[in-house]
Amino acid sequence: MFGFHYRLERKAIGLVLAIIGVASIGGIVEIAPLFTIHQTVEDAPDMRVYTPLELAGRNIYIREGCYACHSQMIRTLRDEVERYGPYSLAVESKYDHPMLWGSKRTGPDIARLGGKYSDDWHVAHLNNPRDVVPESVMPAYRFLSRAELRTDDLSNHLKAQRRVGVPYSDDMIANAAADAYGQAAPDSPQAEGVAKRYGKATNIRAFDGKPKDLTEMDALVAYLQILGRLTDAAYKPMASAEK
Amino acid sequence: MMSIDHDILVWFSKSFGLFYLIALSIGVLVYAYWPSNKKSFDQAAQAILVDDDKPYRG
Amino acid sequence: MVAQLTKNERQIALVILLVMAAVGLAMAAGGRNDPFGVHGALVMVVAILGMFGVISGYYAPEPPEDRLDSYYDAPSKFGIIAAMIWAVIGMFVGDWVAWLLAYPDWTFDAAWASFGRLRPVHTSGVIFGFGGNALIATSFYVMQRTTRARMPDQLSPWFVLLGYNLFCVIAATGYLMGVTQSKEYAEPEWYADIWLVIVWVTYFVLYMRTLARRKEPHIYVSNWYYLAFILVVAMLHIVNNLAVPIAWGSAKSYSLFAGVQDAMTEWWYGHNAVAFFLTSGFLGMLYYYMPKRAQRPIYSYRMSIISFWGITFFYMWAGSHHLHYTALPQWVQSLGMTFSVMLLIPSWVSAGNALMTLNGAWHRVRDDAVLRFMMVAAVFYGLSTFEGSFMAIRPVNSLSHYTDWTVGHVHAGALGWVAMITFGAIYASVPWLWKRQAMYSAKLVEAHFWLALAGTVIYVFAMWNSGIIQGLMWRTYNESGTLAYSFTDSLIAMHPYYVARAIGGLLFLLGAVVGCYNIWMTIRTAPSAAPETAADRPVLGGAVLQPGE
Ligand code: HEC
Repeated sequence: MFGFHYRLERKAIGLVLAIIGVASIGGIVEIAPLFTIHQTVEDAPDMRVYTPLELAGRNIYIREGCYACHSQMIRTLRDEVERYGPYSLAVESKYDHPMLWGSKRTGPDIARLGGKYSDDWHVAHLNNPRDVVPESVMPAYRFLSRAELRTDDLSNHLKAQRRVGVPYSDDMIANAAADAYGQAAPDSPQAEGVAKRYGKATNIRAFDGKPKDLTEMDALVAYLQILGRLTDAAYKPMASAEK
Repeated sequence: MMSIDHDILVWFSKSFGLFYLIALSIGVLVYAYWPSNKKSFDQAAQAILVDDDKPYRG
Repeated sequence: MVAQLTKNERQIALVILLVMAAVGLAMAAGGRNDPFGVHGALVMVVAILGMFGVISGYYAPEPPEDRLDSYYDAPSKFGIIAAMIWAVIGMFVGDWVAWLLAYPDWTFDAAWASFGRLRPVHTSGVIFGFGGNALIATSFYVMQRTTRARMPDQLSPWFVLLGYNLFCVIAATGYLMGVTQSKEYAEPEWYADIWLVIVWVTYFVLYMRTLARRKEPHIYVSNWYYLAFILVVAMLHIVNNLAVPIAWGSAKSYSLFAGVQDAMTEWWYGHNAVAFFLTSGFLGMLYYYMPKRAQRPIYSYRMSIISFWGITFFYMWAGSHHLHYTALPQWVQSLGMTFSVMLLIPSWVSAGNALMTLNGAWHRVRDDAVLRFMMVAAVFYGLSTFEGSFMAIRPVNSLSHYTDWTVGHVHAGALGWVAMITFGAIYASVPWLWKRQAMYSAKLVEAHFWLALAGTVIYVFAMWNSGIIQGLMWRTYNESGTLAYSFTDSLIAMHPYYVARAIGGLLFLLGAVVGCYNIWMTIRTAPSAAPETAADRPVLGGAVLQPGE
């Protein structure tokens, strides 16, 4: 009796192991080489990390599910490159935890959105897309201008980012909240630190037009304005091809 | 020390799938058509139609 | 339900609930300024209510020994009701967001009601709420019948079902508050993910313990499919959700992976969620309920085994077809494409096997809407797997990707296959479980069938049209060699299809509501009062040999 049941269980466990084996090997074999991909992909030495304000904006982008309608991945197809700009490179999203490549274009791709429109345009558009583009089906995000941005946990955000591999310095982590404020208040004393820590090219502006208060609108627009601008790597092959 | 470099991994991935596919297919076909398995397959297919809605207790 | 537990199980239940209440309290305290705290409070309240429930039934007499002479079906009943409730919630929200794409101002000026937050409520609601509950409920039913063994205890099935539904509630309420990882179909944050792992391991252990009590050496093939569903979903879930929370007390975490690796991991997960959640599990359902309802054995048991390994093997490689022409290395894309195309073989073997099973029972398909649900499901399974392999071919994908074609494809599978087989299985099991002769009304089952079929067809055709038009407009050039249409032009062209799609979805939702009413009335009517119709007469044991054997 015992032997019979022992055999039965062995059979069930054998089935389980076979399923695990068959189902995992494919994935492992296919994904493993991607973790050595840095050996082949061109590096982008000029690549910078997101500022705390941009990171906060990115998190709002995630929170609101913008990725459900917008992709951030321009494919290597002629019409896409002509419509949206140089195709996306792997290195451009190397600090993106998680990536936001998207899977659906109910709205246009925005991988190269940075600098395409003014801050005012974005604020008006986010407040009510149909004020700017009458046919738009994008939701209105009026509440963003009303919502004060939460900054007390930004240091924690940067710390966690560093733990998963984004090179934030101690200095950046310690000053995360101040930097977030400074980036949207160009005349404040905090603004200087932002340029020092993240580079002169960083956008330091009152994104929502109101330098005094730091809103979620500031953060989101700051993020939208940096899309595709963290590195020049993608623009280089184009330029050399033209020569 | 030799490191596992990207090219080796890629080469392995591209070739391995095919062999794995063939080996697995043969294994599955042999199992499915192994003559002595036929009886338990037939039994299993019929067994669920029996309308004896009680657990076996023995 | 507490009365069905033994004394010992009641004690364990109390301990579990006590631990949950404590964890909930710690979460609520740690996350005072965060949605995390809200979820902590929710967990605490649920656990305390559960404790009241257990305590109030604590001194009820223990269940009699002769319970062991019957299968334990109360959890399956609960799971089926939960599945129907989630169906209505998930489909209602789905149809709402469908209308929002046609009329974006049909909303409140509130953050929770915007498209991006509602969409995951829809996807999780239907996949995990509706589909998941149906899978768990039917798997309990099927595993007991096919092993002829009662579940080993009364507590763990409840832990699995109630725990799973708690996960679903945390997920859905989280999205409304803006808690999401943004990984499609894996949106819930780290703490919900951890909870699901606990629930899932219990589910697996329960399944294995039941299998170990069986008398027959051979394990019926439905169980293989259910097991693959349980195991592989666990594997996918754990790997894809690896993340670092920013702090205790915060719902937010950051994925361990970035960029390309993250994309590949996400779509390895995403595609295999389709494979093992939405295909494998439901094939398990099909291989039990269809033969049973048609009163004929599977056409070829061997083929069901061959396609099982085919599906388990091929799907794993196919995920990268979601990333054609992206920054993912090209060899991975080609590998994904090749395996996606080969996937058609086991898929069609399964669909063919299902349809051949009906040979000799076509008169029943004509008369019995329940069996017809299952038949149509098999047809849509065949159609959408063909479409899927087709869309995975790179040049086709260059047109279809990012467009509504994908959405149409998904719904051909989700409405036509997954929901249809589920409704078929539910309509078959409700009379069996509640010991009624038949469903309350065979006419209403018929009405549901036609609403569901019409809804699916309208939906899928609308999305095929809009998707292909969209794809073509985006890549059309005029004579001077520049792009012919702006993005807004394509947006305007979509409007009529979006309205049509929303109408199709509405029909499908109405069908589900009709189904709820019918099930409710079946449960309410006393066993003897049920009218007997030809369509729903219980299965007689006639054994027939299939020509395929
Ligand atoms: C329901 C789908 C949907 C959602 C969700 C959505 N959008 Fe849009 N978005 C659109 C559509 C459609 C357009 C094109 C029409 C327009 O410009 O409004 C668009 C356009 C845009 C544009 C202009 C792009 C360009 O190049 O002209 C930006 C920027 C934008 N969206 C940002 C966002 C942000 C940020 C969010 C999240 C807070 C978001 N969108 C959420 C559908 C959506």
